[in-house]
Amino acid sequence: MPATQVITESLIRENIHRAIADVLKTMLGRDCEITTAATQGTLPASQIRGTDEASSPQVVGTVGFIGDINGLIYLYFPLRFAEICTGQLLGLDEAELAQSSDEIVNDAIGELTNMSVGSFKNKLCDAGYPCMLTIPSILRGANFCVEPISSAQRYIYSFDSNGHRIVADILVKCVD
Amino acid sequence: MRHKILTVDDSKTVRIIVRKAFKAFDCEILEAANGVEGLALAAKGSPTLILLDVTMPVMDGVEMLAKLKADPALKGIPVMMLTAEGGRDNVLKIAKMGIRDYIVKPFKEETLVEKAGRIIELRSLADAPSKVRSILDPATLLIVEDKPAIVQQIQDGLKHTPWKVHGVTTQGEAADFCTKTPPDLIMISLSLENDAALTLFRLVRTNPKTKFTPVFALVVKTETAPQQAAQAAGFTAIVTKPIDLIDLEARIAKAMNLDTSHRYFSVDGNCTVMQLPESCTQSVIAEISTYMKGKLAASVDAGHNKAIIDVHKLKALHMGVIKLLLQAMQTCRELGVRYVLVGNPQIVAECRGFEDTRSWNFQNSSEEAKDHLSRAPALAESV
Repeated sequence: MPATQVITESLIRENIHRAIADVLKTMLGRDCEITTAATQGTLPASQIRGTDEASSPQVVGTVGFIGDINGLIYLYFPLRFAEICTGQLLGLDEAELAQSSDEIVNDAIGELTNMSVGSFKNKLCDAGYPCMLTIPSILRGANFCVEPISSAQRYIYSFDSNGHRIVADILVKCVD
Repeated sequence: MRHKILTVDDSKTVRIIVRKAFKAFDCEILEAANGVEGLALAAKGSPTLILLDVTMPVMDGVEMLAKLKADPALKGIPVMMLTAEGGRDNVLKIAKMGIRDYIVKPFKEETLVEKAGRIIELRSLADAPSKVRSILDPATLLIVEDKPAIVQQIQDGLKHTPWKVHGVTTQGEAADFCTKTPPDLIMISLSLENDAALTLFRLVRTNPKTKFTPVFALVVKTETAPQQAAQAAGFTAIVTKPIDLIDLEARIAKAMNLDTSHRYFSVDGNCTVMQLPESCTQSVIAEISTYMKGKLAASVDAGHNKAIIDVHKLKALHMGVIKLLLQAMQTCRELGVRYVLVGNPQIVAECRGFEDTRSWNFQNSSEEAKDHLSRAPALAESV
C-alpha cells in the first residue's frame, strides 16, 4: 500500500496523544492530557522528567517498530505512578502491590508501552507505512538520558494524568 | 463441559488480566509465554479456545498459528487474536490463516469475555456442577443417527462403560428426548436429511436444559464441507467414520470433563498403584502425567508412602513411556514415597537395552512388589 500521508509533527503529536489516552482510558480508566511538546535535540534528563521528579526513579518502557518506517518510543513513568498504574491494571490493592516484585511493575509498564506504541504504529501502517512491533524492554533509573542517533527525528511530549506526569520520547527514521 | 482457555502472551500482565476476566466463569485458564509453549500446551491441555498474541520471543503468534493449523489434531481449536499488532493489512493477513476473532489491544475485559462467549459457551461459576464426575459415574449419551449399524457399533464399543447409550433416528425424536431426559452428551449425524443436524444443534443450544451439553458431529472422514459447517456452527467435536471407539471414549470423557484417573491410579492397602495400560499413546501419557503428582501427593497426605508402578500390561516400551516412568520415580523421590516397579518379561528385557533404564529392577507381580515394600526401606527402593 503506498503512503497516503506525510509524516509530520502534528501527525505524530495527534497520534501519540490518541494512543496514550486510549490505553490509559481503556485499561486504567484514567484521563490524560498533553501538556508540553518539544522536538529535536537532546534534552537534559531533568527536562524530560520535570523538575519536581528530577531525582525520583523512573520506570521507562521501550518498544520499537520496524518496517517501512523505523522508530523507538520511550514512555517515562515515575516509579510511584508506575506502581499506581500496575495496581489499577491488575486489580491489586496497596498491600498486594507492596508484596509483589519489581518484575510485576516492569511487566505492566512494558505492556502499557506495548499497547501505546502498537496503537501509535497501527495508524502509521494504515497511512501506508507498514511496520511491526518489537518486544518491550524496560529501563529503570534516576539519572540517565537518551542520546538519539543524528539521522533520527525526535519528538518529546509530556502528558498529565490526574497530576501524574508521563513523557513520550519518540525517535523516528523513515526508510529511503 | 468445563472450558479450557489457553492464553499465549509473553506479558504476564496480559495473562493475569485474562485470568481475572474469566474468573467468574466455569473455565480453566492455561498460560504460555510464547508459541513453543503454546503449541505444547495446546497438544497436552486440549484447550477449547486459544487467545494468541503476535509479538513474542522464541516463536511468535503467526508462526504458532501456522503450525497449529497444519496439525490435524489441533487445527480445530478456535483461535482469537489478542494483540497490539493491528494495522489493516496485518489483521487481514492473519485473518486469512483461519482465526475466529481479532481483538486489538488496548481492550476491555468485558469485550474479551463477550467475544469469547460467541465462540464457546461460557457458564458462570454459580451454574457449574459442584462435584467433579468420574469415569465410573453413570451418564446418558444420545445418538441421533439414521443408520442403525452406527448406533449399534457405538453401543457395543461403549458397553464396558457405565454410560447408557440411546439411539434415535430423527430430529423430532431427539428434541423430545432432550426435553424429557437431558443427556450428558449428544452425537448427531451430519448425514441427516435437510440439514437436520444443524437445525437440531441450534435447538439443543436454545434449550436451557441442554445449552451447555457437549455435542459431537458424526461424519464420513472425506466429507469436508459438512465438517467445516459443523465446526463453524460450534459443535464440540467432529467424530469421523469409521469410528475409532477407543478414541471416541477418550473424547467423550474429555468433553464431559470426567475424572479418568481411576483408570491408572488406585489404592491397594497402604500402597498407591499406578498402572499403565497395554498401549500408552501420547494422549494416555498426557492424561497420566496430568494426574500423577496430585494423586501421589494425595496419597502421601492420606498417610500412604509406598507406591507400585505397574507396567506388566504394557506391550511395548517407547521414549514416551520411559519419560513418564522417570517422571513418576522422580515425583516419588520428591514426595518421599518408596516405590517399586512391576513388569513383564518383554518390558524387562527391553529396559536392559537402554542406558537410562538398564539399572531398573522389576518385580514379577503386585504381590511380590508389596512384599518387597514391606521390607526395610533401604532394601525396598529398587532404582
